[in-house]
Amino acid sequence: MDELGYIHQLIVPFFGHELTFNIKVIAMVWIVMAILIVFALFTTRNREMVPGRMQIVGELLVTQLYALTEDALDEKLGRKLAPMICALFMFLVMSNYMGVIPFMEEPTKDLNVPLSLGIMGFVIAHFFGIKKKGLRAYVKGYMEPFFILLPLNLIGELAKVISISFRLFGNIMGGSIIILVVSHLVYSLILPPFLCFFFGLFVGTIQAFVFTMLTIVYVSVQIK
Amino acid sequence: MAIEGTDIIQAAAFLGAGLAMGLGAIGPGVGEGMAAAKACEAIGKNPAEAGLLTRTMLVGQAVSESTGIYSLVVALLLLFVV
Repeated sequence: MDELGYIHQLIVPFFGHELTFNIKVIAMVWIVMAILIVFALFTTRNREMVPGRMQIVGELLVTQLYALTEDALDEKLGRKLAPMICALFMFLVMSNYMGVIPFMEEPTKDLNVPLSLGIMGFVIAHFFGIKKKGLRAYVKGYMEPFFILLPLNLIGELAKVISISFRLFGNIMGGSIIILVVSHLVYSLILPPFLCFFFGLFVGTIQAFVFTMLTIVYVSVQIK
Repeated sequence: MAIEGTDIIQAAAFLGAGLAMGLGAIGPGVGEGMAAAKACEAIGKNPAEAGLLTRTMLVGQAVSESTGIYSLVVALLLLFVV
């Protein structure tokens, strides 16, 4: 119960300011990346027309996610953005599953990871929005129904980023805190594995899917 | 022992955390229940589409839960940072 708030940080002084690295989060993200690269290697070697078992998993993921993206966005942009959406979904699913393994924790438990992914989705959406509509129509879009609503539209855009990041962060961190507190109360007897499966696997998959879907929806709203 | 200012701040923070999470859990509970009710009704009318309806219901419930998560974040902030 007393390991609740500890974050191991590496503080590097850098020309008068200081850079802070959260070491465990960075290490967990590297582990997730290594697992995904190993999974990709196992899935795509010895490709055949009649797929083997690992290839079926890879084809399932790619087909479903590419279909989802090209359904929501138009053809050219969908083909361009589909690999990023697939990578985002696989990264989020794998990093939410890391909490089930002992001695590892989910990298999405720290606010920096979901916030940076949310900002990345925001920047991508607005970049493609400006590229498609042109700068003039993009700025005009903020004053869309009435000119008075300009602050509300700006705050709405900011609220999208905050809501998408905090939803993922709150679900994963809240789940892990509930597991910790309930394990402490029950003396780790019967309940913790079921809670781990619920909060780690079930909620983790759903939140990863919702994050990905909302990123696709935000991009498609901007290029409308 | 005299009660100091910092004790009052701690007590108020604990009280606020309890109120935030308790009152903030009402809304998502009601909303997600209504979404599940409509999904059950739609599956009853059209059982062939059960997979798509379940997926849409889960996505809608996850989005509707986000205000409950905001109140959880506020409660955790009050408990552990103040």
